[in-house]
Amino acid sequence: MSKSMFERYGGFASVSKVVMAFYEKALDSDIIGHHFENVEMRKLIDHQTKFVASVMGGPVVYTDDALQRLHAHLDIDQPQFNEMTVLLRETLEDFELESADIDEIMDHFHARSRYIVSS
Amino acid sequence: MNLDKFNNMLLESAGVGLAILQPETSEIQIGNRRFEEWFPGMVGTGKKLEEICPEINFERLLERVASGRIYAFETTIKVKRRSVTLAMQCSSHSHDDMAVLILECQNISKIKELEYMIESYSKMVEKQNRVLEREKERVEKLLLNVMPKSVYEEMKAFGVTTPQKFEEASILMLDFVGFTDMAIADDPAGTISELNDIFTAFDTIAEQFGCERLKTIGDAYMAVSGIPESTPEHATNIAKLAVLMLRYLDRRNATHKLQWRARIGINSGVVIGSIVGVQKYVYDIFGPGVNLAARMESFSEPMTITLCEDMYSLIRSEFDVTEIGEVEIKGFGKKRLYKLEGGSGELTLRSEGLFAP
Repeated sequence: MSKSMFERYGGFASVSKVVMAFYEKALDSDIIGHHFENVEMRKLIDHQTKFVASVMGGPVVYTDDALQRLHAHLDIDQPQFNEMTVLLRETLEDFELESADIDEIMDHFHARSRYIVSS
Repeated sequence: MNLDKFNNMLLESAGVGLAILQPETSEIQIGNRRFEEWFPGMVGTGKKLEEICPEINFERLLERVASGRIYAFETTIKVKRRSVTLAMQCSSHSHDDMAVLILECQNISKIKELEYMIESYSKMVEKQNRVLEREKERVEKLLLNVMPKSVYEEMKAFGVTTPQKFEEASILMLDFVGFTDMAIADDPAGTISELNDIFTAFDTIAEQFGCERLKTIGDAYMAVSGIPESTPEHATNIAKLAVLMLRYLDRRNATHKLQWRARIGINSGVVIGSIVGVQKYVYDIFGPGVNLAARMESFSEPMTITLCEDMYSLIRSEFDVTEIGEVEIKGFGKKRLYKLEGGSGELTLRSEGLFAP
């Protein structure tokens, strides 16, 4: 069996670096930065690392229900979601992931947009 | 460039926030650029340390620094959108007879995030380990159903097992009369369920007498004693098992519609035990002693136990045995056969519940 993306890129250690870098960009963004204003970042980074790990074939499972529950109160609109995808793609590129892998990860995010975008 | 200017540049560009406080009032007198970024409007405006970090115990701080030690604490500030955790250290210094407090602040947010992550992942790994451990136990339990523990240990340690010769062991073969017809009769599922009950009861009896079920094939039940742990009692163990199996069936038949009638053959001899197969393996036994037990079984009348001279000498002092006579056994020549009637002493089951209707 071929190795999952999660294994190929070095597991949690690598994913957490990507996620931390992504939030640096997100916090500086005028479009989505405010969402992270009063958030406990370490918890968010931890969750997001596990989520990205799961879309990369890592040993965690997130249900769509959980995603919906976690985002429902945030009132996220489509332009904000788009900004997130731009920043995430940029971060993945910064970490030199192969473009096919980046596409695959982004597909996972796009496929779940309806659980995240609520307005 | 003179040294003072150079020092000043260093101070201003440092990634660490530095401030000088007035020791009596804790008023923040001077701060470098980093400190001003983190605590804007606090330097040289008469603000005190307690105002920017209300959580500290200023009396204790003074006590600590007066004795030449460092007072350390953590505080969280907000820089634009970010929550930043700072590790603060305060120490006392004197210069030209002037005492000051120096405050050092380091951004440890990333360290805090990593600490949290490590904790979270260790918990996740521990949880997964527990799941794996339970799974391992389950697999082990399953494997112990197919092979003796000693063989399993050998397989685990070396990856392979070697066939083992048991000089003294006894074998029991049991088979039901007319089972094929019973099974396809009006209630096949019921019949199989009854067979399962009976085999389970046999397992309990076998365990009580130091025997072990080796396997079942359809309606045939095979048990051994003396394998893999040798015992001088192997022959009497198997004989007791045989007697009690028939007694169990007798009592069961008295209260059940479906009549289960078995033939039993028992024998003692040399046996080779080994794992057979690679992907689908079973622990099996081989040797003429095993074949002879099978011959004894097929020779038996329904609800009787047959053995031959090889085993007779081992059990005759403890059991009621009647001679059948000399019979030609295929592959073994002429053998003197005996019928095992019952135990001379009182044989009882520890779990009488087995005989309940």
